[in-house]
Parts: sequence; C-alpha cells; structure tokens
Amino acid sequence: MRLTPENTAIVLDSTADFPDAAERFPNWRVVPLYVAFGGESYRDGVDLTAQEFYERLRGAAVPPTTSQPTPADFLACYESLAGFERIFSIHLASQLSGTFASAGAAAAELGDGRVRVVDSGVASAAIAMLALAIQRRLERGSSDEEVDALVERYRRERGLLFTVDTLEFLARGGRIGRARAVAGELLHVKPILSIVDGEVVPVKRVRGNRKAFQAFVDALESGTRDEPGLRVGIAHAAAPERAEAVARLVRDRRPHAQIEAVTWLGAVLGAHAGPGTVGFFWFPD
Amino acid sequence: MTAQRDLQTVRRVVAGALASLEASARRIDDLNVYPVPDGDTGTNLTMTVRAVSQALEESQTSDRRSLARAVARGALMGARGNSGVILSQIVRGAAEVLAQPGALDAALAARALRGASDAAYRAVRRPVEGTMLSVIRELAEEAEARATSGGSLGALLVELVRRGEEAVARTPQQLAVLREAGVVDAGGAGLLELLRGIASAVGGEPVPAAPPADEPLSVEAIHRERSRYRYCTVFVVEGKGLDRDRLEGALELVGDSLLVVGDESTLKVHVHTDDPGAALSLGTAVGVIDRVEIANMHEQAERRERRLLSVVPDPEPEPEPIVARSGVVAVVAGQGNRRLFESLAASVGPIRVVEGGHTMNPSTADLLAAVAALDAEEAILLPNNANVLLAAEQAAAHADRPAAVVPTDSIPAGLAAMVAFDGARDAAVNAEEMSKVAASVATGELTIASRDVRLNGLSIRRGEWLGLAAGEPVAGGPDFTDVAATVVERLLEPGRELLTLLTGAERPPLDGLLERLSQAHPSLEVDVQEGGQPHYPLLLAAE
Repeated sequence: MRLTPENTAIVLDSTADFPDAAERFPNWRVVPLYVAFGGESYRDGVDLTAQEFYERLRGAAVPPTTSQPTPADFLACYESLAGFERIFSIHLASQLSGTFASAGAAAAELGDGRVRVVDSGVASAAIAMLALAIQRRLERGSSDEEVDALVERYRRERGLLFTVDTLEFLARGGRIGRARAVAGELLHVKPILSIVDGEVVPVKRVRGNRKAFQAFVDALESGTRDEPGLRVGIAHAAAPERAEAVARLVRDRRPHAQIEAVTWLGAVLGAHAGPGTVGFFWFPD
Repeated sequence: MTAQRDLQTVRRVVAGALASLEASARRIDDLNVYPVPDGDTGTNLTMTVRAVSQALEESQTSDRRSLARAVARGALMGARGNSGVILSQIVRGAAEVLAQPGALDAALAARALRGASDAAYRAVRRPVEGTMLSVIRELAEEAEARATSGGSLGALLVELVRRGEEAVARTPQQLAVLREAGVVDAGGAGLLELLRGIASAVGGEPVPAAPPADEPLSVEAIHRERSRYRYCTVFVVEGKGLDRDRLEGALELVGDSLLVVGDESTLKVHVHTDDPGAALSLGTAVGVIDRVEIANMHEQAERRERRLLSVVPDPEPEPEPIVARSGVVAVVAGQGNRRLFESLAASVGPIRVVEGGHTMNPSTADLLAAVAALDAEEAILLPNNANVLLAAEQAAAHADRPAAVVPTDSIPAGLAAMVAFDGARDAAVNAEEMSKVAASVATGELTIASRDVRLNGLSIRRGEWLGLAAGEPVAGGPDFTDVAATVVERLLEPGRELLTLLTGAERPPLDGLLERLSQAHPSLEVDVQEGGQPHYPLLLAAE
C-alpha cells in the first residue's frame, strides 16, 4: 500500500510536546496523558498548558503525579480516524511509561491491523521529530517498509541530551536510572543526561548552564555535518531564555541545520524532570 | 440453559476475583515500587476488574463467545495504569481461549493461562522478570504440568494459588528494585489475589488464606521509606552551654532520622540529610565540630545490592556496578572545602582528602599513604597548591599503583577539576580531562597583608586587604568590597558566567560584594560556599 497523508494518520501522545499537531497536520492527533495535583486530574496540554502547569507546580504543596492514557483513550482516538487505512501511533519510550502498552492494548482490541504502535525510545520533541520525518515521507508517498527502516535508523542515529537543575524530580518519579550516580548538587553541578535503551543515563557533568549548552552543541558537532538535512529540536521546562541560548549556539556552530521545534516541556515530562530542564535533540535526515 | 449457566458462573467468578482484590488493594498499593513508586497498583487492578464486573452486569448475552468478548472489552475499557493495562491483556488472552466451546476443565484452564501469559508478554516491549509477567507465566507452566494428571478444576486452582504464592515470593530475587525496597512485586501480588478470589468462587477445595490486609511492611521497606535522604551524617559538637533542644529543632529542618545526645559540653549528632553541609554549619554555629562522618547511603544501598547479587544468581542482567578504576587524593584545607570535594566524588568514585595547604604542606609520605589507602586501581593527585605540587609528583612517581597529577594550584581549581572526575575511567584519561577544566578556571584570593608591601605598583599597609588574581597581587586597601570587586573584575573575562566564592575560617563581610555584583553583572551565577580554609578569608573562581 502506498502511504500518503490522505490515507495515513499519525497519533502522538502529549509527551511529544507538539500540542498544535492536529492544527498543523490534518492527519495528526495527540492523545493526552494525565497529571494530577492532589485529587484533581488534568489532561496534559488540554486542560492544563505547560505554562499553567509550571505555575501550579510552584505553589503545589504535594508533588503532582502522572498517569498514562488508558487503552480506552487510544481506542476512541483510533476509532475517530476511521477514514485512514494506516495509523502510526508513536510514543514515549516504553521503559519510561506504560503509554506504549496502553496504545498496544487498544490496537489489539481494534484487531484490524490498521494501527502500528511505535516505541520511539525517546521523549519530548524527539518524538515529534520522528513523526515529522515520517510525515515528510508520507508527503512524497511511502510504504510500511520505508517507515520501519526510518524508525530503525532513528533509534540508531538520533541524538538526545538533557540537563536538569536538580535530580530530585527524576528520583522522586522513579525514572532516575543510572543517573543517580551523578552527585555534586552542592556546587550547582549540571548533569548532562541521555536516554539509552529507555533508561536515563549520565553522560558527563559540568558547572553552569553555559557549559551544559556547550556540551550539547559539542556533541552535535562531533556527531553530525553542517547540512540542511540536520534537524534539531529544543525543549525547556519554564526556561525559554535557556532554550534561546541553545538555539543561538546551534545557529552559530551548525548554520545550515533546521531547528524544527523549540517547545515547552509539557506537564507530564515537566513533573518528572522539574523546572529548568533543557532537552536537546537532533537527527540527520 | 448451559449458556445461561455460563453467564452466572462468569459473574460469580468475577465477583470473587473483585472481592478478593478489593480486600487487598491497600496492601498492594503499599507494595508498589516498580516501575514507578506511585502506590496505585492495587487501586488500578481493582478498577480494571470492577469494569469487567460492570460489563457483565449490563450484558444480556448468553453465548460464550460474546461473553468472553464482553469480559475482554470490559477489562480493556476499564484499564488504568500500567498494571491495569497488562491485566487487561491477561484477561484478553484467557478470554480468547475460553470463548471456544468445550468443557470448562483443568485442560482448558491451562490453555487459557498460556494464552493469558503470551498476551501479557506481547503487551510489553521489553518484558521484565519479577513482575506480573513472570507470575502469569509460572501459573501457565504449573497448569500445563498438572493438566494431564486429570484433577478437578477446583483442585488445580488451589495448586495454582500455591504456585502463585511462590512466584510472588520470588520476585525480590528477580528484580533488584524490589529487593532493595524489601517488598514483593505489587502487580504480581495483585494477580495472585485475583486468582485466589477465582479459586474460592469455583470452590471444591479449601484455598490458602490471603495475607492480612494490614500486614506491616518489612523493616527494610520502612527504613527505605524513612531514609529518603542521601547522606548519613554524624558529628560531635563541643562547646559551652550547648542547647540540645535548640540544635535538635534546627537540625529537624535539614533532614530526618535525627538523634542528638549528650550534655551541654558535648553533643553527638546523627541525621539523614541531602545537605550535610547545612547540618555541619548548625554545629559550627554553636561550637566546635569534630569526628565528622558522612556516608552516602545510596552508595551503601548499591553495595548491599551487589553483595546480595553475589549470593543470589540473577537471571536479569544488572546495571554495571560503578567500578573504581581510579580515585582521587586531594590536598585540602578547611572542613567545608573537604566536604565539597567529598560531595563531588560521592558515587562517582573514591576520594581521600589529606589535610593541608598553604602553610601546612603534606609530605610525599603522607600522600603515598593516602594513595595506598585508596579503594581504586589507579590514583589521581590534586595538590591544590603550588607548594604541594612537587610532593604530589614525587608521590605519583613512587606510588604502589599507576598515578597521575592534575597540577591544580588552588582549592577552586581543584574543585573545578573534580567536576570532570569519573571513577570508571583510568587515571590518565581523568587527569587529561580534569586538567583541561582546571586550566579553564580563573582563580583569585583575598588575604590580609602581614606586612607593608609594595607590589605591582600597589602599596598596601599591614593589616589591609590584599587581593590576588592568578597568584599576582592586583588590589589592596582597607575596604573588603573594593578589593574583592577589583579581583572579580580581573577574573571575569567574557564568557565566564559562574563565580564561586569559598569563605574562609575568618568569614569575610560578603554582603557589599554580592550587592555590587548583582548590579554590575545581573546574569552572573554566584555560588557562595563555606570553605573554612585558614589565612584566606575568600577564595574565588570564575569559569
């Protein structure tokens, strides 16, 4: 089957940090995760924008909790896409969240083989960047095989680094992985972290934001060439000036790269990484 | 007629499962540490089964195929959380088998459990043992082994409950995070209670009783809960008229597991905290502190885990333990500075701090002894003072193991180097990285002139402030803020955005300087730490 934007839909979850997906692309949908303060539950990015979330977080006595979309949520979304013959449902790393399992359960319930659930292995704008790469192929006409090959290559070649102001949020949510071996918060040490096989791992540590952002761009430089196909994404948790500082470095060192997304880290990821987090993603395509 | 009986049977069985889960939901919530410690597994499983029960209440269908379909769909639509989703797939896998015509006997139960197990494994991209998955798989294996011996369904279910109890009890051996927390897997425990409810509803044989709903967690689990802080900090405060209650009240704000004992001349403090420095500062505020011990409890937990691993073979590959390929020997003056060095090494690699610095230079023998005591294959030496460099080089040349010197000439340069330290790498690689970082830092210090001096065109009188940048006098005078600000300006080349200030044993009047810096350099990050070094009321570093 020849896949096009007319016959193929893309379903993301809200951790792709692409809230206006359905407005930008008629064949895209976003299924929200949930974030709860005390007893009140909100749909990530629907009932609570990223900006609102960080304001709530500042005043919150109890840390927020998060939960994956239910299979029923995914089922409703897939059923609303009845006109499409193929659905790529692309989600947050399955090691970090049960979102992938919820989507898979809904796809199995549907039972018509239309839905292909993809474990992106990444988070935030990096999920959206994989979806954008798929969309580019749909626009010139694609196939399941080509998309499968793209997903495989994405898993190998994508770059993902992030830094947090404190490891406390990752630790509290049980997502700290091997990164708990990074210490030194006494001296404002910034850990440079990545996600490998769905686990948060430490890469190095530096002092100060400027050095952290330099470490991002150093990694970009050593792993890529300066070419228009180089795609870059940046996400920040209530720190737009930091995202802008990273973007400036990218424009300076890789002037031909396309910065595809500069976005707020949404409520669910923000609850697990904490304010001040900056994520940096790239993919040569 | 048969069909109507099927609906009744299914309703009874699901009601049994639900009642059993509801009774244990709280206990199961408390067990929940994996994959995320959010304490809702019991609730999520209960809600999933309740949705099945509701679907059956509404269902008027009487044929087995539609019934199975209603059960599977109910579980899916009601699924909440990861455990709920996996349970919904277990239900689906079982329902697909049970939808087929044939007697509801032990053989069919075995096939249903196999279907359930396969569906659960398919739902998860990377199955992990020691969870609901391994429990359902063991149940399927047990059922298949017994199905051929021709017992009744009721008898089989009782055997399955027994096997389930074993499987759940084994989960801590299979999954390190459970072992560390001293709990069994919550999802597996929920699955077992569900099965227990089914076995009771089917009846025919007495079913082993469930654990009491309010069964207390193990001591280990409680201890983990209590020590959410990283550092176990112990020290003695000596002074006059020490107020135990007041110190205890202040320490309560920085941590827990607090113990303050002694009399008004000596108090011993034990506290778990993320900020041992704050605890020590509370001590130094009222007296002299001594016998300081700071242990990283997370590291202790990891070691315990590794010890247990060597006893219990683990089928899952464990994350690599942090191997101390190399460690650091640092020459440091001041209690606060020692703490900063130790905190930068914590969980990254071992460190030995040798007291000393400007006027108290450790000997080569002191350094060799520290290298010998280092729990690492190779050593990196940080002299942190120009006068100690030679001794460090001598020690590296004569050490009992490969050793490299990072030629740091100040405490702040040494701290900068520590940020790049990684005990998993060898000494040479570390030394190269650490030297690079140390060299990129501009350092300065403020001291009090011990005599009248004329240097670099500066004329400074005895007792006045003397400011140095990169070892050279650059400012002097009676006003601390003026002298310090001049030194800072020398250090702040474009691109330097982080200023570290280490206060000495004699605390300098910093307020004026901080005020002036926030006006002149609003985007500068300033990090003030108590260093406690003698002779230099202020050490500075810009990077």
